Amino acid sequence: MVFSSPVPAAQRLPVTVLTGYLGAGKTTLLNRILTHEHGLKVAVIVNEFGEVGIDNQLVVEADEEIFEMNNGCICCTVRGDLIRIIGNLMKRRDRFDHLVIETTGLADPAPVIQTFFVDEDLRDQLRLDAVVTLVDLKHVAQHWDAEEVQEQLAFADVLVLNKVDLVNDVERQAIERRVRAINPVARLLTSQNAEVPIQELLGVEAFELERALSLDPGFLTEDHDHEHDDAVGSLALVEERPMDLEKLGCWLSDLVAEQGPDLFRMKGIIQLQGEDRRYVFQAVHMLLDGDFDRLWKPVERRRTEFVIIGRNLDQEALRAGFAACVA
Amino acid sequence: MAAPAALVSERLCGQLQQSITALNWSPKGDFLAIASAGGELLLLDFRAGCEELLRGDRDSSLDAIGFSADGQFLMAVGQAGGLLLWELGETGVRPLAREPIPLGAGWLDAATWQPQGLLLAVAAGRQVRLWDGAVRQWHPETLDLPGTVQALAWSQDGLQLAASCHGEVALWQPTVATPAEPPLRTAIDSAGLALSFAPSGHLLACGLMDRSLLLWPKGCRSKPWHFSGFPAKVRHLAWCDLPGRLAPLLAAAAGDTLVHWTQVNHSSKGWQPEPLLWHQQRIEAVAFAPGSTLLASAAADGTVGLWDRRGRLLQSLEAEDQGFTTLAWRPDGVHLAAGGDRGRWWLWPVAIPVRERRPSSSGSGFQ
Repeated sequence: MVFSSPVPAAQRLPVTVLTGYLGAGKTTLLNRILTHEHGLKVAVIVNEFGEVGIDNQLVVEADEEIFEMNNGCICCTVRGDLIRIIGNLMKRRDRFDHLVIETTGLADPAPVIQTFFVDEDLRDQLRLDAVVTLVDLKHVAQHWDAEEVQEQLAFADVLVLNKVDLVNDVERQAIERRVRAINPVARLLTSQNAEVPIQELLGVEAFELERALSLDPGFLTEDHDHEHDDAVGSLALVEERPMDLEKLGCWLSDLVAEQGPDLFRMKGIIQLQGEDRRYVFQAVHMLLDGDFDRLWKPVERRRTEFVIIGRNLDQEALRAGFAACVA
Repeated sequence: MAAPAALVSERLCGQLQQSITALNWSPKGDFLAIASAGGELLLLDFRAGCEELLRGDRDSSLDAIGFSADGQFLMAVGQAGGLLLWELGETGVRPLAREPIPLGAGWLDAATWQPQGLLLAVAAGRQVRLWDGAVRQWHPETLDLPGTVQALAWSQDGLQLAASCHGEVALWQPTVATPAEPPLRTAIDSAGLALSFAPSGHLLACGLMDRSLLLWPKGCRSKPWHFSGFPAKVRHLAWCDLPGRLAPLLAAAAGDTLVHWTQVNHSSKGWQPEPLLWHQQRIEAVAFAPGSTLLASAAADGTVGLWDRRGRLLQSLEAEDQGFTTLAWRPDGVHLAAGGDRGRWWLWPVAIPVRERRPSSSGSGFQ
């Protein structure tokens, strides 16, 4: 299964998924998005009307409803409520330029993301721009054991560390390290009162393959802080030798077939044997997509960087499987 | 060879501000109501020769509209989540708007009047509610489903109401005896997106999200036929109201593909599909002309196709600058209305060929 749609990305409406645990500041951010003078007309799907203080015909309520397709295969789990409501909303497409979906603090982000790749209508009408997760710097430590919190961090393309005014630098850095251990690829922003430049949140194009990986350069070399034993974690793999596409493809398809439910996201830039172009790759659970990208630049260090974010990752086995894909 | 006579040679049209979402004719064909994604509701009165905008653009969609069987009420539901009702008098008399009735179930997109009765079924979240026009209040009983109601349909006699969600199709007889028999519930593997009862014979068809079609024989108590392999979600269904040799002709639309289904025998594979491939984009509505085997299909590519009983395209109608979103035949069977995604509506008189007016059982011979 691939992410692509026959309809060119430019013709599809961008969608941002906004997640975050209860009290992280999603409503404040939504109100900001709806009032901000950014020139974008944004439609918002919320899970509860009352919270958004703005009376706007482009704010629509949806009740989380999971549709399991194909005998409960996790990659085919989608949000039926979004299919219906967005179907209705798209009749008014000329009235807005961007769609934001707020999920409940307890929602699993995966079915929301998958809906935009699996559903035939949404796939051709919309394109997922990014998953934005708000983190409450003051209280996140208390909720850290909640599976939802770790999943929301794991699936994020942009992480907004909110309420920075309520913690000191030492506390903030400790949370940043812990967040980074789960998700080394998301863009990190800090904010007070969810004040974030809107262009950092909307129009990120995180699911476009050419933007597949923006790895924190420090991450690969940094000595990780292993004081926390979180179930959700990440693994960054770096290989200087060129890889074999066929071996890599076999390894990945076996991997997602066996461990798909535990593999949240994967992103990679691959250096292939005998190929002057970069190969870029990403996955959400069992949905895989990869393609050739631009030529390696002469100044660029040609090497493979591959990040896996998931639950209960067997680091040793993953490293071995990856190493066996060297050409 | 002489050119075949055109079915359509003139038209009437008009314009609303936003995409047309629904069209509905009053039972006698005196009125046509047109709704838009901006919440506009236009009422055309053909006997008085006038039109009235019952509701202007409010930037809040109306998605389902309908006249009651006796022509007394016009209803509309949509984004605002309330049930809107108007009481209609004779033609030329201004309709009287009733207070909107809030349902508290979010965006409403499915509601349909009982044929030969005054019950209005409204899908409100996971519940089907009935508004009774005879007493002007809600019926005490509701039908509860395990998921959000996606589609509703009444049988032609108005006795059975079908509702579908993800995982279930329920069949209810809300007007039959007390204590009412419990609804007949059938588990399905996917979400039912379209429901339609055959006008005769009581067959029930359900189009599914998993690109398949379920078809229950009379009474819906035995095992349904299940046809898969459609290219997309089966979103629209229409039955011909003329009897066929066994069952009437059924049309199903999935993506840009239209399929004619004919029952050829009573076996498990007793239905024959005939794909009608011509539309380039998603088909948004299908309907047989009343009293005829002529089928109209409207698609997002800006075409309406008029098909004969054998699946031949007799004529196409084009919107030029927009996609079609919906269509509706006037009950007289010779006028077709359609709506577009930029707010335009059309009305065409259609000359139905004589051969499309005969039931296919009455000796279609060696055609």
